[in-house]
Amino acid sequence: MEISFTVNGTSQSVEVADENTPLLWVIRDVLDLKGTKFGCGKAACGACTLLVDGEAVRSCSYPVKFAIGKKITTIEGLGTQDNPHPVQQAWIDEVVPQCGYCQPGFMMATAALLNKVPNPTDDDIDENIINICRCGTYYRMRKAIHKAAKLRAESEMNISEKV
Amino acid sequence: MAEEDNHSKQVSRRKFLVRGGLGTIGVLAIGTYIFRNNIRRELLRMVNTLEMPYADNTDKPMIWFEVTSENTILLHSPKVEMGQGTFTGIAQMAADELSVSMDQIYVVHAASATGNVDSVATGGSTSIASLWQPLRELAALLREMLLEEAARKMNVAVNQLTIEDGVISGGGKSLTYAQTTEGVEEWKVPDKPVLKNLKEYKYVGKPIARVDLKAKVYGDPIFGMDVQMPGMLYGAVVRPTKIGASFISADTTDAENMPGVVKIISEDDFVGVVAHSMIEAENAKEAIKVTWEISNEINTGAIIEMMTVGNGKSTVIQKSGEALEVEDDFVSLEFRSPIGAHAQIEPNGVVASVEGDSAIIKISTQVIGITRKEVAKRLGFDVEKVNVVPTYLGGGFGRRLHTPHAVQAAVMSKAVGKPVKYFFTRKEEFQHDMFRPPTHHVVKGKLSTEGWLTDLEHHFVSGDVGNNSALIPGFLPPIIGADIGAIRGGFIQYTKVPNYRSVYWHVDLPFATSWWRSLGLLANTFAMESFIDEMALKAGKDAVDFRLQQIGDEVIDVRLKNVIKAAAEKANYSEEITNGRAMGFAASIDAGTPCAQVAEVSIVDNEIVVHKVTVSLDPGLAVNPDQIRAQCEGCVIMGLSAVLYEQMFIENGELLPTIYGPYQMALMKNAPKEIDVILLQGKDTPGAVGEPPLGPIGAAIANAVRRLTGERLAELPLKLPKTT
Amino acid sequence: MKLKTIYTLLAISTVGLMLALGKSPNVSSYVVLNMPESKMIESEEAYGQMMDVLTHQRCMNCHPNDNIPKQGDDRHAHYFGLARGKDDTGFEATNCTTCHQSENNDYSGVPGAPHWSLAPASMGWEGLTRTEIAERLLDKSTNGNRSHEELVEHMTEDELVLWAWTPGVDANGEPRELPPVSKDKFKKAVKSWFENGAVVPTK
Repeated sequence: MEISFTVNGTSQSVEVADENTPLLWVIRDVLDLKGTKFGCGKAACGACTLLVDGEAVRSCSYPVKFAIGKKITTIEGLGTQDNPHPVQQAWIDEVVPQCGYCQPGFMMATAALLNKVPNPTDDDIDENIINICRCGTYYRMRKAIHKAAKLRAESEMNISEKV
Repeated sequence: MAEEDNHSKQVSRRKFLVRGGLGTIGVLAIGTYIFRNNIRRELLRMVNTLEMPYADNTDKPMIWFEVTSENTILLHSPKVEMGQGTFTGIAQMAADELSVSMDQIYVVHAASATGNVDSVATGGSTSIASLWQPLRELAALLREMLLEEAARKMNVAVNQLTIEDGVISGGGKSLTYAQTTEGVEEWKVPDKPVLKNLKEYKYVGKPIARVDLKAKVYGDPIFGMDVQMPGMLYGAVVRPTKIGASFISADTTDAENMPGVVKIISEDDFVGVVAHSMIEAENAKEAIKVTWEISNEINTGAIIEMMTVGNGKSTVIQKSGEALEVEDDFVSLEFRSPIGAHAQIEPNGVVASVEGDSAIIKISTQVIGITRKEVAKRLGFDVEKVNVVPTYLGGGFGRRLHTPHAVQAAVMSKAVGKPVKYFFTRKEEFQHDMFRPPTHHVVKGKLSTEGWLTDLEHHFVSGDVGNNSALIPGFLPPIIGADIGAIRGGFIQYTKVPNYRSVYWHVDLPFATSWWRSLGLLANTFAMESFIDEMALKAGKDAVDFRLQQIGDEVIDVRLKNVIKAAAEKANYSEEITNGRAMGFAASIDAGTPCAQVAEVSIVDNEIVVHKVTVSLDPGLAVNPDQIRAQCEGCVIMGLSAVLYEQMFIENGELLPTIYGPYQMALMKNAPKEIDVILLQGKDTPGAVGEPPLGPIGAAIANAVRRLTGERLAELPLKLPKTT
Repeated sequence: MKLKTIYTLLAISTVGLMLALGKSPNVSSYVVLNMPESKMIESEEAYGQMMDVLTHQRCMNCHPNDNIPKQGDDRHAHYFGLARGKDDTGFEATNCTTCHQSENNDYSGVPGAPHWSLAPASMGWEGLTRTEIAERLLDKSTNGNRSHEELVEHMTEDELVLWAWTPGVDANGEPRELPPVSKDKFKKAVKSWFENGAVVPTK
């Protein structure tokens, strides 16, 4: 069947044989957006986190049929080199990634958090940021999240479209 | 004036071969030692501190550097990047010797076709240390070759030329590197490159931002899992859920008719399926009914029994003075560590493309040379015809020192005539890991009336780490007699103690165990440093001073004492409990790099909470201090995860659990909110960084808990007794 | 008037008055009406069947008496620290629907049903006796202000409740255990119990 939705601002229409195919595989293998990662396929690690209408969703456990008519945002749409999202800028400033594989999932989860809680406390971060990082970059991530909150507040003053 | 470049916008690279003339010691040379106990022990000591040099066959020309027409340098790295920051460090080294800016250097993984494949591995915390001299020499060679050619082209004497950011100037003229390389057929390679003075370096020693930072923040498709090839299909291989299962037969009739299936591949040793998508391949795989012969339905209890000091084969790896006698009055404590999974977030996988008599293998691997040999052997191809193209690894930690899936993907690709992408599911990752082996330790000691150790012994048992690994030449383990991986951290550092002994026991386990970041260091240091702490308490002495007074005076000992003092001072180490928090101290040496840590711990709702860790490390010359800091932070958190939460079980022959969650790991909320890192420089060349900081964390936490509760937690993962 | 009649009228008017005042009477203030023996047995049976389901771990898992959802037959605390949050739906950005969708997911083993969330804290059943659970169920101040009719509707038609009978597969692909009473029997039991006055057996 044909499924249409918006990804990173662009309308997409994909042909899928099985409407229960996890959105993750459609994003990665049909639309060739590799930034969203496969880590476990069981919604346990969070590497597949993207945004559906601004809400954090683990795409390995989200059938593509539910994406019909929705606005999907992946790491590629969060920001670019020319126009980084505050979360990405903070991640760069704090030099967060090591192997880097889990990072897009964390950045998307953080973007979702800042949309709901613009100035998160450490407890807010502990509760909401529960992806897994094996390299152990959590220490730098926490700093980056606080920094991203600051950067985002600053850029909110120069209004740009909310993700 | 620089010549205008009239060529089209197409990138045209002038391949620039640099003969790598590297002297090597290498693992193989050790084979010339003869069988004598003291030689053997010396060998072990050497192996423990050996900085594995870049070891490769350097007779053939190989591509290290390419000068592009945009005047940038492509550096083909024989070491892979798995987060440990090697690419950045070597870029700094190369940029400095080549006199180019960091923006002009691009590091890429060397494909095996370039020739400079590292036939050892990326691991052992050796990459920057082993490339320090050879890489800078190669870069200096290139620089000198370019200078000589520029001098010739510009008709200016070499000593009149200066270089800045890849532009050679002198006598009122200038040429870029790119222009310099134009039209040259044969290069004269100078014999001995002249390295710059360290003081002239702009990048080495500075906290330069990672060269792969932007790629990783913007989600570029750089990992093995992201590889895409035209016409690519997807494969899956049936794997048993039980240990020691042998493949008997498979019924593939159901699978053959499933949607998207292209072909079922039945070999003697595996059954696989190739389909048009990942999901279709996995679904079809589930429909294949395999008959396994199960030899073994063991449980964790049986493993624990096997892993007991006194079982298996023993080797004395270190000794001084006399051994304790059974009748002696000594303190003896036991410690245990569990089976540990790598759990790296990118599963193992590969894309194999076989055409005719050649193959391309794109893979996250730590052992390019071995991957290549194994695929070539299975397909019956010439090794030269198998091009292994490494990708960025989504975590290595020793997991990717074995790549049998590359062989399976290659077989599947050959069968369907298309590239095949094959990845482990997370369950398969957990059940077919080559784990960190469980260990058991008996540490014994005796105090004099003044409260100093007169005797100290560490008896420990482990499964394979290095033995049976494809990396270690088969003749090596019998010579050494001990597993060189399992004994990491097993050497006693308190060499002022008159009588000490370290004895390694080896047990063969019925499931695969192998290298897990820092190898034996994590468990060995946990046992020894917990014991030392206990003895310090018994002697009524300060834990830091107790250590300092019993470490020797060799160069490495002095470096160890310096890191101990630095950590204690920075953390304001105290044996008091303040605001419900206690401090725990531990120190270790690994691969020649000493590390000391202080953990600040409290107990909240019967859970161990680590608030702060102070780390001092002496990695020698720090090529990139910020990345070294990052490795310390990462090791503290990964180590904390292993010592507080992680363990695998075996139930009825099945390794469990098979998913994150039940395999508990540290999350954001468990990471210390403060990690202080102090770097010392005890030698003027770079040493090991990636693994040494994993040593002290276990005992540092356990020692803090000891002071808080009075209880000595002796088993990993550390668990407080349940309150009612 | 006969004494019996007076008592009956008194009881009915008491109940009526209290209902009229909008207050749910206490279980103990219910008077057992003159019920034929067979109806009593039917009522007790229905109660038993209904409670067999309500006390099954599948239901208990989302009716915790602390703020932590439970998982699985062994009822371990939900992994990764998920908890009730402010609206019974988890935390602000990472909430139930980050992972749980409106139907089960066979690929990931994540269960799903419409409006997946925790039951409100007032409907926490862990550690309660059947009698105490019944109390909570019937008390409007704890049961979401539901009347008997609304309770019957909730318990026999709410998709999240009925999910118990199509619980899907776990992360290993293994089907989850079904409640000890079939869905039809459960629906009948609920209807029957309420029809017979929602009598809580005194034993």
